[in-house]
This record gives sequence, structure tokens and C-alpha cells, in this order.
Amino acid sequence: MNSVELINISKHFGSLMANDGINLKVRDNSVHCIIGENGAGKSTLMKILFGIYRPDSGEIRVNGIPAHFRSAHDAIKLKIGMLHQHFMLVEDFSVIENVILGNELSKGITLDFDKSRQAITGLIEKYNLSLNPDSKVSDLNVSEKQKTELLKLLYRQSEIIIFDEPTAVLSPVEVGEFFKIITKFRDEGKTIIVITHKLKEVREIADDVTVLRRGKSVYSVNRESLDIDVLAKEIVGELEPATALQKINMGNNDIAVEIENIVLDKGGVRKLDGLNMKLRKGEVYGVCGVEGNGQGEIADLIFGLEKYSSGKFITFSDLISLIPDDRIEKGMIKEFSVGENVILKNKNINIISKNLIAKTTSEIVSKYDIRLSDYNAPLQSLSGGNQQKVIFAREIELDNDILVFAHPTRGVDINASAFIHSVIISERNKGKTVLLISSDLDEIFFLADRIGVLYKGKIVREFSSNELSSKSEEDVDVLLEKIGKLMIGITVEE
Amino acid sequence: MDIFGYIISLSFLAQVLRLFTPYYLGASAANFSERGGVINIAIEGFMITSAFCYALFAVLTGNVLLSLFLAVTINILFSLLYSAFTIKLKINQIVTGVGFNLLMAGLAKFIMMLIFRSSSNTPRIESLPHIPFIADMPGIGKVLADYIIIFTFLLVPISQYLIYKTKFGLRLRSAGENPAAAESLGVNVRNYKLYGVMLSGFLSALAGIWLASNQNSFSDGMIAGRGYIAIAAMIIGKWKPWNIFWACIMFAAFEAFEISLQISGINFPSQLLQMLPYLITVLVLIGFIGKTKPPAADGIPY
Amino acid sequence: MELRLKNKLRENIISITISLILTLFITSVIILLIGKNPFDIFGIIISEVFGSGYGLGQALFKATPLIITGSALAICFHASLFNIGAEGQLNLGAFVMSLAAFYFSALPAYLLFPVVIILGFAVSAFWGYIPAIIKIKKGVSEVITTIMMNFIAMALINFLLIEFFAVKSTVRTEKIADWIMIPKLSAYFQFFQGSSVNLTFFIALALAFAVYFMLYKTKFGYYIKAVGFNETAAKYIGIKNNRIMLLSFLIGSGLTSLVGLNFVLGYKGYYEFGFSNNLGFTAIAVALLAKNNPIGIIFTSLLFGMLDYGGLTVNTVIPKEIMFVVQAVVILSILSVDKIVNNYFQSKD
Repeated sequence: MNSVELINISKHFGSLMANDGINLKVRDNSVHCIIGENGAGKSTLMKILFGIYRPDSGEIRVNGIPAHFRSAHDAIKLKIGMLHQHFMLVEDFSVIENVILGNELSKGITLDFDKSRQAITGLIEKYNLSLNPDSKVSDLNVSEKQKTELLKLLYRQSEIIIFDEPTAVLSPVEVGEFFKIITKFRDEGKTIIVITHKLKEVREIADDVTVLRRGKSVYSVNRESLDIDVLAKEIVGELEPATALQKINMGNNDIAVEIENIVLDKGGVRKLDGLNMKLRKGEVYGVCGVEGNGQGEIADLIFGLEKYSSGKFITFSDLISLIPDDRIEKGMIKEFSVGENVILKNKNINIISKNLIAKTTSEIVSKYDIRLSDYNAPLQSLSGGNQQKVIFAREIELDNDILVFAHPTRGVDINASAFIHSVIISERNKGKTVLLISSDLDEIFFLADRIGVLYKGKIVREFSSNELSSKSEEDVDVLLEKIGKLMIGITVEE
Repeated sequence: MDIFGYIISLSFLAQVLRLFTPYYLGASAANFSERGGVINIAIEGFMITSAFCYALFAVLTGNVLLSLFLAVTINILFSLLYSAFTIKLKINQIVTGVGFNLLMAGLAKFIMMLIFRSSSNTPRIESLPHIPFIADMPGIGKVLADYIIIFTFLLVPISQYLIYKTKFGLRLRSAGENPAAAESLGVNVRNYKLYGVMLSGFLSALAGIWLASNQNSFSDGMIAGRGYIAIAAMIIGKWKPWNIFWACIMFAAFEAFEISLQISGINFPSQLLQMLPYLITVLVLIGFIGKTKPPAADGIPY
Repeated sequence: MELRLKNKLRENIISITISLILTLFITSVIILLIGKNPFDIFGIIISEVFGSGYGLGQALFKATPLIITGSALAICFHASLFNIGAEGQLNLGAFVMSLAAFYFSALPAYLLFPVVIILGFAVSAFWGYIPAIIKIKKGVSEVITTIMMNFIAMALINFLLIEFFAVKSTVRTEKIADWIMIPKLSAYFQFFQGSSVNLTFFIALALAFAVYFMLYKTKFGYYIKAVGFNETAAKYIGIKNNRIMLLSFLIGSGLTSLVGLNFVLGYKGYYEFGFSNNLGFTAIAVALLAKNNPIGIIFTSLLFGMLDYGGLTVNTVIPKEIMFVVQAVVILSILSVDKIVNNYFQSKD
């Protein structure tokens, strides 16, 4: 028996087919992982199942009965619950208040806090959640907030629970705890759907797996016949032959940026804790690490947005380009036109005429093959890919000495990734200093001359170009494993 | 007159209680709206409308209870209109508030001129009835014999209870703190915002009506920024009923002191005292006097 | 979608037209309700305003401070700074201007005027500096602080007047010397005979054009708008947000002081308590109605100026206070119609 069946679900946003005839069967009482790259359509599909989006076409069946959701409320009524990637908690409320909101227990018109506390404490003990129901949510850490979200679902007796990348925010130890909870849910008869893009997690918890790729469901398999290599291929699909990117050795590798023992606190939290880095001209320095270990602060530090409390920061040039991770929200003013966005960063221009805007626009549009219908149209009217292109084009055209790329290919399709990679290499080859921050190890391996592993605000180990240049496949595997361990704070024997 | 002797006298206390009443009603009106996430800087306008309508109908009908009913109704209708702008159409709440203030002040001026041919005040009207037995008590019995004053004092614990101990309060607060989270749990956020704004209309109506009744007329400029002082009291009171109560008492005491200074003929510039509520509010906002934090989603259309 | 954005201008024109028609309609209904003929009323207003140089001059005179304050506020609004403290800012500026012009009258003209303007500007700008710095340093919304600063300003002026500067048993300052007065337009054009409109009107026009140029043609203006649209993006683009916000607030509030030129130096010769009569709030409406475009603000100010003076001309038939109502109805109409038109076009995509 299937708890959930999604039949031929399609959903488009503008010209993008986010879901393109997806089929999914989730067995009762199982952990079903949905895996795929960024932008494969996982979150859209789950939001359809939870009633947040309505599909263009297709059918949803819950416990065999066709369901029509007008809002999340309808899904909740069918005992479907969703743990969102971003918490939906009222920070100013206690755990109890957050949990009971919408399903309050009352005596007359007075809220019955005693009874609520009893019920919630019961759940906390049963699932070993170790959480004080009377604490204020704003005082909780990330893992405790996630537990509060779990309590909301348990309190509503959700039978089908969707988790959207639940481990992204957790430490390795917390991930282990979390998996135990999920398994307990399953053993109790609940049905669990987990969205992820981590193969390791699939291997650990999945009873069934479905792979989504570019909006389609391309592969399904159960635990018994699970082969990680096959799965990995299905996720990526046929790779386009990577354009050979030739790195030219520049010879002159002067130091461009020197970061020594930088300590940086933000909102009372130590973000950088004795950071040491030297960036050189004509090289790509890759920073890898689990998100939230200080990546954002390094970028901000170099770009001059953050003040550090101690340490030494020297840069030979203040011509710095920063391509932020969320380019749509941070990289541009979407109400401005292409030309206006480009001019905005040009330090030499003070008077902005219509002609200047038109000239700037036409230069960049023709050079970078940006598609737009009207030069005066605001950037937000361009397709996502073209918007990204404008940002990269602008930063390159500035011809700055230092370029910081934060997660440059996040949310970008494969062709655009290839374009971005070639840009990064060609800038390096021009003698520019490139700092590449990415959580995608493959990307870092592919592009970086040196790699620094970032953990808790400092580089715990740096790999020189010699160490990285050993090309045998086994060596690479060993290296990857080493880096992986370092990223989660396990010291490796050298 | 001995000014210090006066301050500890019963008549000073009575004065404070009188001045306190419209402040607390107005502050409470602003608070219920903001707890649901809707900023209402038009409290001043709402108070003007209700004070004027009460006086207008009292003159026209001679029936103060009917006038009270009509004035409350009209204010609630205006609060519905305000909701249509801010909740339904999601128009910026500050701009809407400015517009409403201009509209309500303008309407009162215009209709007063039209009907009473006066730009300054309406003819004399009757006060609302007093509570019979208390009125005969010595001392401040006359003040306490006022239904609206008694209601205002009861409103403090009632608001505290309503906001923190009931389902209504929990949901209202969730609408002001994190409407998306509330909606995801099936709370009809917009309805609760609407209830908040309607309560705001109701309470500010009582404030205006009380002022007109107490002054036995409506006159241009009689609200005199009390709507804004009420908002200031709400901020200083950190959106909490009891704290707001103390803030209003403080402002009322300032004003009573200022009035007594004027009566006593002591030469002290009263404008400096008038400045105090606003100055204190700015200092509180800067963080000199405790930290203050509005509801997280206050003012953000949802 | 691209089409929609291209048609933003058309959308604006549609919504402004509809809201003006709506205002006209609501006003007509009010006039009908009190048993008068709306066409008669409109007829009187039009013939009085446009029928004589005096009428036109008075309308221009009323429009002048609106153009100044509206353009000044547009700078703040483009930076998404909700400065509703113009009332206090402009009163302080005008007050100080009147004092400067009175006490420094010994200075030669080429020194006196700059001193008067700079002092007025500085005081108004300082009054904007306080909420700006509180916003930047403490993250406190400027809305409440500017409201509070309005009241503090008015109480402060009242105090200073009564204790020090007022002419006995009045609420105004001493009259400044005649030679300091800004010439009336009637001195050059017989046409405006008797009207108070003065050279400040042209200063206001020049100001509106200058603000337009700054906002739409300079990098600084683009920075202001970028910060207003998206603070995070502006930061990552390399804009010093705090500096831009502070400057917008300083310039915006400082410029409001120039209304003192119109009233103090161009008309009465002294500062009078209550002269502004909600000007700081009406200017918000004027700017809003013009979508914060200073050229548009010239036209919306002229409309409001016409209503303001027009109200006086019909006072014998219908209380002039109706114009307060009409102005508020214009604001609320444009707010709601704009949103509805916007939603309509969005749903059509």
C-alpha cells in the first residue's frame, strides 16, 4: 500500500519546467529519499504535496484517495506534515506556544498550559528530544529549533512527514541523533519523505530512493538493489564533456592578500577565530567547508564589509570584485536595467545619461550574449540565467585585481556552470587573484590551485598545489576522504 | 498655593486618573493593532472622529447613550476601512495612517463648519451618566463614578489576560510575530489582524468619546496629539499592558503637574514639560532606558 | 512580464487618472449631499484660480512650499526612509531663518542670504540627523522617531518664542527689515498684482529640477535608489549604505527649511507659530501622488495649491475646510487605486 502517490505532476514557473511529469510512489511505513542536484525540482514537488503550490497538471493520492489541496491546511488535515528548510517558528514564543498554535487546548477561553505542557513533555520523553518546553525559541540553538519543529508535527499526529534537507544545518553528531529519531518514526508506522542531495545520507537511512533530474523523475530503487555508483550517475545524468581548461603557470606568484590571525565576532558569536590565509596572484585559492564555518565572513572581510577585532589584514589592491552566493538578492538591484546595474559599480562615472546607459548595455549585451527584449527593461524581467550572466559580466569587465566567488555555480544549470568555470580559470590565467568559496568539493578540486579546509572560523589544513596534483584516482579518493573528515572537525593522522 | 502639598493631594490624584484614561485607551488601541502586526499611527484621527461624532450626535439627538453607540459604530467602520487598505490591499501602513489622520481631522473640521458654522467648537453637550453610588463617595468618588474610567482600569488586567492567556491572544500575537508560521499551522492570519484593528477602532472610540463627554463639547485641536502620546506610551511600555499602564500614569502625572504649575502661577515654561513624553520616547528608542522591541512582523503587510 | 514592466509608465498614468476621477466623484457626492451643485463649485474654483492673475498667483504661492517639501521628501523616500518629520524640520528651519534675518540684518546682502539659508538648512538637517543616526546605529525605524521629533520641535519653538523671541502677546517673531524681503512676482509682472507669490516659486522650481537631476542622472542618486530598493544588494555592490542613508536624510530634511524663504522672507517677514498647517504631511501626499518624481511633484503641488486657494474662493458657498477632505481623499484614492491597478496588471500576466 502506498501512503503517497504522485502521478504525472507538472509545474512551471515562467518558462522553467520545475516539475515535468513526475511520478512518485511512497510506500507506507518507509523512509523515502528524494535526491537530486540543486534545481532538480525536489522542493517544488514537496511543496505541491504539502499544498503550498498547486500543480499545473497531475494527480495526488494520499492513502489511495485522490486529494485536492487548496492550501497547506488541507494537507495538514490529511495528517501530512512538513519540516521546512527554513524554520517556521515564532521566535518570541515559548516552545509550548509554538507547538500548540493553531491547535490550542483550552479551558473555556483560557489556554490550558498545564495540559499542553503535559502532552508536549510526553512527546519529548518518548522521542528523547531533550528540550525544555518552557524555553523561549529565540534562546534555542539550531538543533533545538529543529526539535521544536518536529514537536509541532508530532503534536498534530502527522503520519506522513516531509523533511526538506533536514541535515543541512546540523553538526555530524546532531545528524546521527536526527537519523535515530527518523528511524523511530518509521518503526512506529509513520511514512517519511526526505529531500536531500547527500548520497551518504541516502545510504544510511533510505528504504527507497527516487532520483529527480531537471524536473523529471528518472530513477527509482529500493534499499536492496541500491548501488551508490549507479545512483550518482543518475543524479548527474550524462555529463557534457568538460571543456579542457588549461591552467597557465604564471611564474610570478606574489602574495596579493595576507590574512594573519584574524578574529571576527558578529552578534556575540565568534565567526573567524585566528584565520590565516595568503592569496597569491595568478592562482585560485579554494576554501571548502561545511556551511556556516565562516565562509561568508571571509568574503565580507576581504570585501571590506566586516570589521575584525584582532589580527592583520593586508591587501595589495582594493580593486576587489565580490560575487555573492545569492546573486539575485545580493548581487544586483533588480529594479535597475542591465546598463544601470553595470554603471552602478563603475567608480569613474558620476553623471549618468541615457546615452551612457544605452552604450554600456549594448556593449555588455553583445559581448556576453545576454538575451533581453528591451534595453530599459529592469533586470528582474530577464531570465534567471541571463541575470546571473549580467552579474558575472559586470564583475569581469571591472577588471579588478582580486575576485571573490562565493558558491559561483549554486542554483545554476550545467551549461552555465561550465561558462562560470571557464571565466574563473581565464581570470586566473590573466594573473588575477581568485578566492573560490564553495561547498561543492568537485568544483573546488577542479578549479583550485590550493585548497584550505575551513572549520570553525579557521583554516585547519591547507593543501598545496603539489599535494593536489597527484592524479591517480585512488589518491584523489584518499584526499577527498581526508578533506571530508577535516571539514567536520576530525583531525587526520598525516 | 503649595504646589508640593497639592501633588500629594486627592485632587491631584483625581486629575492624574482623568488624564490617564484617554492615554491608556489610545495606547491600548494602538497595542492591539500592533500585536496583530498592523501599525496604526492614525489613533489621533480615530480619537478625533469619535470625539466629534459623539458631540455631533449628542447635539442632534440629545441622547448621549445613542451618541456613544453611533460614535463607536462609526469608528469601527473606519477601522474596517483602515483594514481594507492595510490588510486586504496591503498598502503601506504608515502612509495609510498619515492619510487617515488627514481625512479624519479634515472631516471633523468640515462637518463642524457645515453644521455648526464654527471652526472652533460644537455647542455644549451633556456628559455621559455617572455611576450613582460611587459618585456620592467623598474624595475622588466623582472621578471613579465614571463608567469609562472604571472600564479603562479593568482593561489593564483584561488585556494582559487576553493577550497572554487566551487562544485569541496567542493567535493575534502570532500574526504580529511570524504570520507565515501562523498561517502554516492553519491560523487565519488576516482575520486576526482584522480583529486587532477593530479593537483598535473600538478602544480609540472610547478615548475620544470620553474626552468630548468630559469637556462637554468637541473643539478643534482638543485631541492635541494625545493619539501620538498614546503610541509613545505603547512603545515605552514595550507593547505590554502593565508596562503601558505605568507609562500612561507617568505621562498623566507630568501633565497634571504641568497644569497645577500653570494654575499656581509658578513661572515655569510648560512647553518643556509638554516635550517630556516625546523626549522620553526617543530616549527609550535609543536604548538609554531599557531595551524595547516591537512585534517581529510589525508593519509588514501579509 | 517584460511587457508589463515596459508599461509601468502607462500603469502609473492609468492609476493617477482613475484616482483623480475618483476624487472628483467623491467630492461631487459630498457637495451634492449638502445640497449644492458640484459643477457650480468647480466652476467658481476654475474661474477664480485661472480668471485672474491674483488667483493664479495665490495658487502658485500655495504650491511653492509643497514643491520644496515634496522634492526634499522625495530624496528620503527614494532611499526608503520614511521621514514623516518634515513638519518639525521645516518649522525649525523657518524659525531659525527668521531669527537670522532679524539679528544679522547688519550683514551685507551677499553675506546675509547665505548665512540665513545655511543656518536654516543646518537646523532642519540636524533635526533629521537625530532620527537618521538612531536608525543607523540602533536599527530603530525612523517612523516613530520622526513623529516624536515633530512634537519636540513644536514644543521647543513654542518655548523659545514665549520665553525669548516672540513679539509681546503674539506667537510670532520680530519683523525683518524690508530690504531683506524676497521680491514678489508682482514687482516684475503686473499680472500678479496683489498676490503673495514671490521669487521663491522659481527657487522651488529650480530645486525640483536639481533634485530630479540628482536622483535620476547622477551616481549618487542611483546609490540612493539602490539602497532604497535593496539594502543587502547595495552593500554587496560596494555602496556605503549608512553614509547614503545619512546623507539622504540630511539633505532631505535640510532642504525642507527652504519653505522659510517663501513664508518668512517672501511673505510675512516673520515666523509665526502654526504657519505650516500640516504642510509636512500634505507634502508626503504630494510626493506620493507623483511617485516621488520631482518633476511630477511640481504638477501635484500645483494641483494641491489650486485646491488650497480654490477652497477659499468657494468659502461663501461651502466651508473651505472641504479642501482638507479633498486632499485626504486624493491620497487615499491614489494609494488604493494604484494597488488595485497594479494587482490587475499582475494578474493579467
